[in-house]
Amino acid sequence: MPDTATDVRRRIRELLAEVFGGWGFVSTVDASASLREAGVPSTALVALLVAMEDAFGFEWDDDVRPEVLRSIDSLAGHIETLRA
Amino acid sequence: MPADEAHEDYHHDLTYREDAPLVATRPGVELYCESTGQGVTITTLNNFFFCAPFWREYTDQLVEHYRVISYDLCNHGRSTRTQAEPTWAEHAEDLIRLLDAQGVDSTYLIASSASTQLARDVALAHPDRVRGMVLAGPVVGPQGMRRHRMLQRAWLRTLNSHGMPELYSHMYPEVISTDMNESTRTPGFLGLRESFLAMSTPEELNNGLRLAQEGEASPELLTRIHTPTLIALGDDDILLGPTAGHELAALFPNGRCAIMPKAGHVPFLDDPAGFQELVRKFIDEVESHA
Repeated sequence: MPDTATDVRRRIRELLAEVFGGWGFVSTVDASASLREAGVPSTALVALLVAMEDAFGFEWDDDVRPEVLRSIDSLAGHIETLRA
Repeated sequence: MPADEAHEDYHHDLTYREDAPLVATRPGVELYCESTGQGVTITTLNNFFFCAPFWREYTDQLVEHYRVISYDLCNHGRSTRTQAEPTWAEHAEDLIRLLDAQGVDSTYLIASSASTQLARDVALAHPDRVRGMVLAGPVVGPQGMRRHRMLQRAWLRTLNSHGMPELYSHMYPEVISTDMNESTRTPGFLGLRESFLAMSTPEELNNGLRLAQEGEASPELLTRIHTPTLIALGDDDILLGPTAGHELAALFPNGRCAIMPKAGHVPFLDDPAGFQELVRKFIDEVESHA
């Protein structure tokens, strides 16, 4: 399981590449950029969230705020918060 | 739900086409409009939660057989903003002018939830322009519209007191079927929320939910509509059960009801392919008698 903040961000990028656009797309997405504005459809977001549950060993909560899902950074921040 | 299954269930590419026209309908009003496919025309009617690109996912099979027109209502999406929210009559006029501009003499209408009221009004005022109607999760009921309007007033209060994410949390268990809720779990809930938040602003929803409180609610109006009409109803719809759905269809002189098992208030979310197959069979049946 990824341990450091850098590992978490790298793993999220790997998962996103698997569900949408491949590395050609993911390598162009800044970690702080809005995934929606970068062109990630909700298709891929749902798949990414499912994949994150498996990769990081947790389950999403219905009360997660929309801003948590905004970017690679915010998703990684959520994982780090869960581990703190 | 495995990631590959989630990918199959949700698409929602909500990007606007830069080459799609803005169609002038009334002085100072232009509507964003997408037209895909050829042949008999189907026009989708947005309720106040959808935008035109949303329909691509739910008409992808229909465009192989028909021409599908989707557009943004005035004051929503990419269409013109006016100071005053359009009335139902102005929305109906917009549709007729849009059809004129697209060279469409008559069309099938697919309406969902609140826009089934608009479809009803267009069929009443312009029967020669409507070849048939598919009312998915209708808000026009066999006894009236009281329950629908109470529900939408509750949504309006949540929107204005707590904002859009809370409105979504309020609506989701009411609109989305038990089956879809259980099978897509929290990732499905959160993913659909992204589409919901992207498709409308709080102001647009406030205006739309207020307009949904207006207009004639009498079921007697439906008895005057001779246009072939299909009620497409999920048997897990919060507003109408299957019995009421068949009663509703019986009010239309040329009505029928199709029940979609385990589907909710927006039945094509549950089963896009099954819904489109229903629409196709309905249109083919009507056209065979034309």
